[in-house]
Amino acid sequence: MELSTRQVENATVVDVVGDITLYSSPNVRKTLLDLLRNKHSRRVIVNLEKVRYIDSAGVASLVEGLKVSRDVNAGFALYGLTKTTREVLELTRLIKVFEVYDTEEQALRGKGDAGAQ
Amino acid sequence: MAGELIPKDDAAAERGAPAISVRDLRVNYGDREILHGISFDAPAGQTLVILGGSGSGKSTLLRTLVGLENPTGGSIWIRGRDFASMKESERDELRKRMGMSFQSGALFGSMTVAENVALPLREHTNLDRSTIDIMVRLKLNQVGLSGFENYMPAQLSGGMRKRAAVARALAMDPEVLFFDEPSAGLDPIIAAGIDDLILKLKQAFHITILVVTHELASAFLIADRMILLIKGNIVADGTPEELRQSTHPRVRQFLDRVPEKELTAEIDYLQMLTGEIPPERQ
Amino acid sequence: MPLAEQIGGATLSWLAYVGNLTRLTSGAARAVFIDPFRGRRVKWSRSMHQALAVGVTAIPVVSLISFFVGLILALQAAYELRRLGALHLVAGTVALSMTRELGPLMTAVVVIGRSGSAFAAEIGTMKVNEEIDALETMALEPVHFLVAPKFAAMLLMMPCLTTWSDLMGVFGGGVFGVMSAGFTSHTYLEATIDALVRRDIFIGLVKSAMFAIVITAVGCQEGFTTGLGSEEVGKSTTAAVVKSIFLVIVMDLVFTSIFYLTAPR
Repeated sequence: MELSTRQVENATVVDVVGDITLYSSPNVRKTLLDLLRNKHSRRVIVNLEKVRYIDSAGVASLVEGLKVSRDVNAGFALYGLTKTTREVLELTRLIKVFEVYDTEEQALRGKGDAGAQ
Repeated sequence: MAGELIPKDDAAAERGAPAISVRDLRVNYGDREILHGISFDAPAGQTLVILGGSGSGKSTLLRTLVGLENPTGGSIWIRGRDFASMKESERDELRKRMGMSFQSGALFGSMTVAENVALPLREHTNLDRSTIDIMVRLKLNQVGLSGFENYMPAQLSGGMRKRAAVARALAMDPEVLFFDEPSAGLDPIIAAGIDDLILKLKQAFHITILVVTHELASAFLIADRMILLIKGNIVADGTPEELRQSTHPRVRQFLDRVPEKELTAEIDYLQMLTGEIPPERQ
Repeated sequence: MPLAEQIGGATLSWLAYVGNLTRLTSGAARAVFIDPFRGRRVKWSRSMHQALAVGVTAIPVVSLISFFVGLILALQAAYELRRLGALHLVAGTVALSMTRELGPLMTAVVVIGRSGSAFAAEIGTMKVNEEIDALETMALEPVHFLVAPKFAAMLLMMPCLTTWSDLMGVFGGGVFGVMSAGFTSHTYLEATIDALVRRDIFIGLVKSAMFAIVITAVGCQEGFTTGLGSEEVGKSTTAAVVKSIFLVIVMDLVFTSIFYLTAPR
């Protein structure tokens, strides 16, 4: 799994390539928490287009990212969910908890607080 | 750090292929042979129910599949490799991808429910404590035990204990899940709840599930395929419908719950009583 | 002939038993001493937890028993020494007997009763409840997971407890010495230090480490071989205590003989 971050407008986009699993999710978590806590990103957007598989450790890492984003009053959104990723989030009933968008443009634009609950 | 044994996309490519293939498996307890060379396939992403009465060898089969007993002959192919002839360290890598729910639950009595579920994650991964906590809550939510994190196993009812055991078996996101007598010792409503859970898990996670049971109603409800094991031999292997239609006398006897025939000939009975023939001849 | 057969059979089964203990011990030793250097993670928190249970909570009873044993030793020694007019030797007698022999032995007896039995009961209960099987299916090696922390804790705490026991024994002897043998606390302590050489303390600590290994191995072995059913746990616990005491005494004899034979004259 590979991670890279880039600044787009006032948001930080995290591109994840590969599977987010028990063994790779600590990296995702570290990156997300670092962006939110230390680099004070105002909005973190996770690009999941290239993620074929995410297990519950990956889901838990995203949940942590979301939680910390609320603690520091930053935005947190996902986009580009593949079918399996979407399935996993639906099964864990988290699809409605996250801000989920289809494309990067939509994610950048956001929709205020809608979708946050 | 433990890497992935086989990347996940291979698993997807293999979908449809059997997750587990057993060939000519023989298992002994001491001198007694319990399984007499059985062969079957467990299709990936489906539920295989191994049916059998007490003494059929079904529990021994399950214990052998998870590596608790060593076969005396034959092979167990999991993802193209023979589990039976692997080194212990290789087996452990595979075991991390399998989950087992024991008949009694086998929760660690000295740990809370949450600690039980967290244990494999704490031991086998470098996940952060807070990540593990979230995962534990996710798993407990999946089995309907949200809010019971800090209970000790002894404080739970039988059905809840079994659910907690399933949550623990799910901790590492296994590809294969084994159940030993999931509904034994539970009242019918709780047992139906466990059946529901098994169905849900299969649909939700595309896990390959192997269930050992003697409960017919439950078996027909959850099975995609069934095996009937009698005295260490497979007498039927097919879909639930095929088993229902079967005219094989042993299958009919088991499905119609006909009691074992009494020894009819008086001479046999006399010999059995006087110990001249062993009561358990085939 | 049958008698010889019985003796032979019993000997063989004891040898097999000792073989099992050795295997368990070497597995635990590997987990504690070798695996950490091979990058395998060891959870020291479990060892710490065990060390508390084995060591710290045993201090009151070890103190009390050792104090009494020291007092008894002083009384017994004085009974004989008084006739020889050598009452001043009480301090040395107590000090030597405690450090070389009774400190390690009394500590071992207490630890067997408290912890050896608890090991057997804990592992036996886990065996009966399929928890040991569950550990294996989770790829957690039971020796690594259950025995190694106990092994590390015992190896650490037994010498500590033994040292403490020695001190309490000397204190017990000192109470007698000061009250009825004409010592002051200062002269008693001096006489004690004069009587002891480093070797005495070393011998006691080596013994205590050996006892730690035996007690852990027997307790865990009895737990792992527990049969089916909860009444079997009780049997395992009893067997752990009886076999541990026996083996500790045998080892004590062996070591005391070796130290006697190799002692500088």
